[in-house]
Amino acid sequence: MNNYHFGRGRARLAPYLLLLPGFLFYLVIMLGPSVATGVYSFTDASGIQGTALHWIGFENYREFLFMGQASLDNYAALVRTLIFCFCVTTIQFTLGLVLAMLVNQRLKGVNIFRTIFFMPVILGAVIQGLIWSLFLYPLGGPLASLLGLFGMRSEFLGGQPNEAIAWVIFVQIWANLGVTMMIFIAGLQTIPGDLYEGAQIDGASPWQVFRNITWPLLTPNVNTNLLLNIIGSLQAWQLFLVLLGYRNGTQVLGYLIFAQGFGQTSGSVTSAFRQGYAAAASIVLFCLVLVIGLPVQYFLQRREEKILG
Amino acid sequence: MFKRSSVLIGVIAMLATLLAACGSSTPAAPAGQAPAAETQAPAAAENVTLKVLIHQNPPMVDFMNTFNEQFQAKYPNITVDMAVVNANDLSTVTQTRLTANDVDVVDMFGFANAAQPYMKNVTAPNWQTLIDAGLLMDISDQPFIKNYDDAAIKDAGTYNGKVYQVNLGRVSYSGIYYNKDLFTANNVAVPTTWSELVAACATFKAANIPCMTAGGKDGWPIFVGAYGLIGAEYPDQAQLVEGLWTGSATWNDAKSLDMWTKMKTYAQDMMETGASGIAGDAAPGRFASGAVAMFPGGTWYASAIDAAQPSFKWGYIPFPGSDNADENKYLFGKYDQGWVVAGKTANKDAAMKYLTEFSDPANYQAFANAVGFIPTQPGATLSSPIGAEVAPYLANFRVGYEQYWVAPKGAGEFANPYASYFKPFGTFDDPQALADKVQADLQSGLDANK
Repeated sequence: MNNYHFGRGRARLAPYLLLLPGFLFYLVIMLGPSVATGVYSFTDASGIQGTALHWIGFENYREFLFMGQASLDNYAALVRTLIFCFCVTTIQFTLGLVLAMLVNQRLKGVNIFRTIFFMPVILGAVIQGLIWSLFLYPLGGPLASLLGLFGMRSEFLGGQPNEAIAWVIFVQIWANLGVTMMIFIAGLQTIPGDLYEGAQIDGASPWQVFRNITWPLLTPNVNTNLLLNIIGSLQAWQLFLVLLGYRNGTQVLGYLIFAQGFGQTSGSVTSAFRQGYAAAASIVLFCLVLVIGLPVQYFLQRREEKILG
Repeated sequence: MFKRSSVLIGVIAMLATLLAACGSSTPAAPAGQAPAAETQAPAAAENVTLKVLIHQNPPMVDFMNTFNEQFQAKYPNITVDMAVVNANDLSTVTQTRLTANDVDVVDMFGFANAAQPYMKNVTAPNWQTLIDAGLLMDISDQPFIKNYDDAAIKDAGTYNGKVYQVNLGRVSYSGIYYNKDLFTANNVAVPTTWSELVAACATFKAANIPCMTAGGKDGWPIFVGAYGLIGAEYPDQAQLVEGLWTGSATWNDAKSLDMWTKMKTYAQDMMETGASGIAGDAAPGRFASGAVAMFPGGTWYASAIDAAQPSFKWGYIPFPGSDNADENKYLFGKYDQGWVVAGKTANKDAAMKYLTEFSDPANYQAFANAVGFIPTQPGATLSSPIGAEVAPYLANFRVGYEQYWVAPKGAGEFANPYASYFKPFGTFDDPQALADKVQADLQSGLDANK
């Protein structure tokens, strides 16, 4: 019996031809620039068309990883990136799960809350940054006024680097929590209701229900969310740009790459575009994502196979 | 049969769509060769759209809108399509649009930060790379060049003996705006020395009036505001940069330590609480509200202050960084906006008409009046309020450190004389510790390039 729907002979090529546009699109938009970044990292590219490109071997990597105090600053940015990633991933994951379970209840008006929690996702980073810059304005802004009622004050985004980064973590979570929540909701809605009914009849406590039914059956969603949160936070840079700009002690790797590539290392000094150097930094970030992402994915897949078979 | 044909047609259509989407709307010229249209200036009656790119500066944008209307009335066949971008994005957008040959005339800051013979292993500044790539046009032979003073053309628009930019004005950033009413009400004289400035701030603070404000959230306005402190110690800033590179000057010697000590006072005692959260573009409004006595900042803020509160009375003085009043009569600054023409423009004739018209002395004077730049045309005068304030110091105008400085590769992030490194803007509290850190960060880069 022939289950092949596209006939015989040359017609068998049809599915491949149908896949070709998508593959070409992926090649041009995703794979091509990624490979080009790798190649550029070995050059002194400025990103300006018409300038001579010189092959400089591992010089950009040497400068990024081993040259003077700047390389130590880069390591500090790397540590900051990991701290940012850890905080964002753990808090966003936990809050997303809690919110999903709350708004997955059959309660009146629950869709309004789903919409409210998801709404920040549809705003761009610039709008998100603008909203919080206004909200956190230290001279009479809403939060400053609120703190003032209790005799407290804060510089918020203009405060010490650790405080400023804490606010970026907060805004990053606020901006992306909706996606995490929706992925969990999608998972929660696939869990058969009779499992919960059975557990209820058996007298299981809410914690036992969560631990033995909800959590194991959410495994695919847990994996998706964890990977998305880890990779997303490792690559974050837009909110750092919008909320903090280039400030010593606050850069993460993603923002460092942007600043070097597009000459924005200082608001008052005209800088050169160093896209070869920025490409090398991108490859370092890529390696970091790989080193963290691959073992996590391996572990999560093993866990999924163990639980769901 | 019909099914197969449909599938094949569908595949071909999708491929065609994809290729069309990836393709350029116009055939690209080979590298190093000008597009065909470049050699053919449009005929006088031919309709031309001239694409102009400028950065966000409200009085300049207002002036340009009026100027463009006048220009289009004079040349009905030319339509000006002007785009305005944030100053921080100007270099990125300029590069992108020049590369795509999607712009004709661009507003570019005066050429600065060029590599000097004593600098080792530094990257060429962006403007130099653009010229080397053939993306900016040589305008040396244009008659309107003669309208500008030689120094401005040479210092801010020339590279390898050819002119690529007409610079439209200098700005000073080492001054302080002061609130005349608050000074009078509190019986405070305009300070001419550092000690007088410290005393003035003490008087205002005692009266529960914040002494100074600035856009601390952006970091650089704090540095710019304290420029007079660097200037007081190092009047010749080109020499300072050479000294830092060659080792004859350091950021932690006795002279510099005096500067850092004053910067600490400036950042911690003079700046109002909360200034670290004020964005750069919000600071003029805060000053114009009348709540603060002083606002250290550049001459470009004058129009924003007036726009925020037209009846507000302010004055502008050089930042008194020294206890010798004679050493405080300098204004440090930079060459601000200038015009460059895209090297591959198809509208060269229209672009040159545009710059010729702009450079007409009457139009230029109107521009200088509107934006408050210190003019670069010899015949232009300073008729704006900020012009009147800076006029006494124009003979003492000097180009500032940041226009000469290029950091050695490998230098740490603190290798600059920024007052914003002090708390609450930064993390440092002790001038000596900060001075040592700044010098160590610089030395690290210098050593790495030996």
